[in-house]
Amino acid sequence: MDSIYVLRGRIEELYSRNSKIYDKAIQFILAVSTFLLINRNVGFMKAAASPAASVVLAVICTFLPLAVTIVAATALIMLHMYSVSLGILAVTAVMFLVMYIFYLRLAPKKALVALLTPLAFFLHVPYVIPVACGLAASPGSMVAVICGTLVYYMMEYVKKAAANLDGSGIKGMLTQGTDYLSKVFQNKEMWVMLIAFILCFFVVYGIHRASMDHAWKIAIVVGIIVNLVAVVAGDIVLGVHTSYGMLIGGSVASLVIGLILEVFYFSVDYTRSEKLQFEDDEYYYYVKAVPKLSVAGPEKTVKRINERQETEIIDTESVRKKSGTASGGVGKNGKRPMPKKGQSVKKHDMKEVDKMLLTQSLRKDLNIKK
Amino acid sequence: MLDRKKVELMTRLAFYEQTEGKEDFKISEYYRRDYTGLHMICSVLWVTVGYICVVGMFMLVKMEDIMGSVSNGLIVMLAGAVVLGYISLIIVYLIITGHIYNEKHKDARQRVKKYNHNLTRLLRMYEKENR
Repeated sequence: MDSIYVLRGRIEELYSRNSKIYDKAIQFILAVSTFLLINRNVGFMKAAASPAASVVLAVICTFLPLAVTIVAATALIMLHMYSVSLGILAVTAVMFLVMYIFYLRLAPKKALVALLTPLAFFLHVPYVIPVACGLAASPGSMVAVICGTLVYYMMEYVKKAAANLDGSGIKGMLTQGTDYLSKVFQNKEMWVMLIAFILCFFVVYGIHRASMDHAWKIAIVVGIIVNLVAVVAGDIVLGVHTSYGMLIGGSVASLVIGLILEVFYFSVDYTRSEKLQFEDDEYYYYVKAVPKLSVAGPEKTVKRINERQETEIIDTESVRKKSGTASGGVGKNGKRPMPKKGQSVKKHDMKEVDKMLLTQSLRKDLNIKK
Repeated sequence: MLDRKKVELMTRLAFYEQTEGKEDFKISEYYRRDYTGLHMICSVLWVTVGYICVVGMFMLVKMEDIMGSVSNGLIVMLAGAVVLGYISLIIVYLIITGHIYNEKHKDARQRVKKYNHNLTRLLRMYEKENR
């Protein structure tokens, strides 16, 4: 378990070192995946649906605020809807306008949730959204989840019905718009999903704020169970055909994401929790204090033993040569001292030569003058 | 020599000026009532547009049903429902908008006050230095 927290510390450290670069990288990935998924599902306009266009658009959005990515995604959807029919475009535009007026105008930061919800649907993990929002966001974000779900089912309808949409002129457009609206709002699967999401969100949100031990883990598990029960009940009662593979896969993914969020946002040590009781003039207080968990990463210290250790391999041949020259070094006047006549040249034995060479090399190393 | 405290303070001030400060300075130019009132008026306009859109879409979907059983009573009832819905929606949105922008102004003012306080501290540091 400790290793997870050590890893978290390392990730945080790594992120804090170059947070701007990582933010931009995440923004690019988010933008490119959004545009690619939109093009893959409702890419009716060939020019805008090419991967190159998506990448170029994503690169532009990366260097601009996140709101621009959302506006670009909306514009891209509208372009594709325009290719389908004017009636579909008009209804989609009105739907987006209503969403903006009633919610996104007041909480523009929540627009990210509205963008992530259809993405999660396209990636077959929609159940992650209510769990993650319940843990990390406020109840207001549920409106953004509802908007996102609505957008997904709008696109889903157009994707399926685009080939069969016909009719020209104002009457044809009106019929298309009416069909589009009624089919989207009469989609039972969408209502089942919305009800399951709302229930799951409020269960997760309510439990994770409780003071009981392991509240986050309990909230995640109970939220997933509520979600499963709501979807299966909707499936049985309303006859909605839900993919059970997606349901199970999505639930596992929400469990994993929920636990990751817990590691990053709420790591506490319940074994050291303390309960206090005190009072003032007006109230009795029952306080539970749970210490935050902080695991210090193992520090690597490099211990240097003998910092300037240089092993000198003495070549015996050169020593012998030097032994010859050592006695005949350059004198103070720069002249080579000549041996005195009549006296024999002093002979050194090898031990003395070694000593002398060692002293010389030490003097050199330590810069000691004679 | 560099004064560490001064550098810290200047960094904090510059950081605020370049991030939250941009919007906070604009907000704090208004009195709270003016700021909230202005946004409430905008909200009424926006909600009116949004409501027209929603009613329009509803009419589009239910057009055939309404036309099939059109009568004076139904028209009056529908008109009454539309007006009642509009009034209740406006009231709800005015309350929400009022609360949101009131809090926004309060927070922004607090941050600007803190900024001004830090600015005064910096000024005093300079004065002390020049003495």
